[in-house]
Amino acid sequence: MRTPRSLTIEITSRCNLRCRYCYFFNNPEVVYRDLPTDEWLTFFDELGSLGVMTLTLAGGEPFIREDLPVLLEGIVRNRMRFAFLSNGTLIDDEIAAFIAGTGRCEHVQVSVDGSSAQAHDSCRGEGSFEKALRGIRTLQRHRIGVTVRVTIHQHNVHDLENIARFLLDDLGLPDFSTNSAGYMGTCCVNADEVLLNVEERKAAMATLLRLTEKYPGRISSSAGPLTDGRMWRRMEEARAQGKPAFHNGGRLTGCGCPSNKISVRADGAIVPCNMLAHMELGRINHDSLAEVWQNSPDLNQLRTRHNISLAEFEFCAGCSYIPYCTGNCPGLAYTLTGQVDHPSPDACMRRFLEEGGAIL
Amino acid sequence: MKQTDRPIANPIVVLREEFDDWAVLFNADTAAAVGTNPVGVAVWKLMDGKRDIEGIVSEIKNSFEDTPDASGEEIAAFVGILAENGFVGMEQDSN
Repeated sequence: MRTPRSLTIEITSRCNLRCRYCYFFNNPEVVYRDLPTDEWLTFFDELGSLGVMTLTLAGGEPFIREDLPVLLEGIVRNRMRFAFLSNGTLIDDEIAAFIAGTGRCEHVQVSVDGSSAQAHDSCRGEGSFEKALRGIRTLQRHRIGVTVRVTIHQHNVHDLENIARFLLDDLGLPDFSTNSAGYMGTCCVNADEVLLNVEERKAAMATLLRLTEKYPGRISSSAGPLTDGRMWRRMEEARAQGKPAFHNGGRLTGCGCPSNKISVRADGAIVPCNMLAHMELGRINHDSLAEVWQNSPDLNQLRTRHNISLAEFEFCAGCSYIPYCTGNCPGLAYTLTGQVDHPSPDACMRRFLEEGGAIL
Repeated sequence: MKQTDRPIANPIVVLREEFDDWAVLFNADTAAAVGTNPVGVAVWKLMDGKRDIEGIVSEIKNSFEDTPDASGEEIAAFVGILAENGFVGMEQDSN
């Protein structure tokens, strides 16, 4: 691929909330500084010339930027589409009408972590539940696609049935996705009060697997308990039946992101992914994005990560699941081990079982 | 204004040419995308509102070796699909 097809851009480092599991804040390797409007517009012109198709606007909270309409006009002018990752609390009729008018919004992903204010606000702050719902209803009123992400943590893990019913039946959303709080940023500070323990992970997996049967095709995940539950079930079946290795098994293949997308931090640093925010590859409007994309040694090394065998790691020594394991997210591997080229301990099935977990 | 038979590329559509000879046409307004080969890319670049399909086919035959006999029909079909999906319009005659 000559240039990235899509980018995730943290257009601001400001946020009106301070969620207790936020991956973004409290990263000592990140500079929390916002760029002026003109810098982003210049960069969007470059992206337009490179044929980039879609931008995901994240933060911080992207709706906190007062110049958001000007930025969106820059994106539209450069023939791109856009999506948002948002807490939903700052979305009002004015900005929703503007977004709808562009005709270019893929969706707005709003975080909802509970079926009630009690569960949601426990990690996101008082009043955030009602404001997020108001944001969702505003988007729906303007016929803007809304997706919801549920991040699972200690305070909502036993509310998942109610969350599914609330989002899918009461709010009438077509679907929602799930993840779980990961050991990054602010979550590292609050890990004991936020991260799921083994019993809670087991409960989350069981509930989510059951809910996916109750609501077929309406609950998804790319990480977290649902993904682990599905993947680990496949791995256990394959191991028990002595099946050959999975096509992507036995090597660090857990991340395919660097092959089609890239990220930019709020301060303009180009990084492979928001989960690898320490890995600066260049700086927008100083370095050519196409040059970084094609020739960055760090990025190209990340792209060859899939050649690294899990058998090389002491961490994996003697593990019978190696032929079926992908090593999972390099971002979590980095925060947990200090190494990008390492399997993520958080996604280690053997460790989960040794600590009392079970495959359902 | 009268519609001509000269196709013109929708200026909102992005052409992404990749290293391995394939390309993507992306309509940012509809999110529709179409993959195409080098001939399709050449056709796309010739749709400037100044040539009709015959003219485009003629240019393609001059640019590529061993073009099959059916290339005219295939190019017309390709342009037709693009037109149906909003990637291409027909130039208006101002006379």
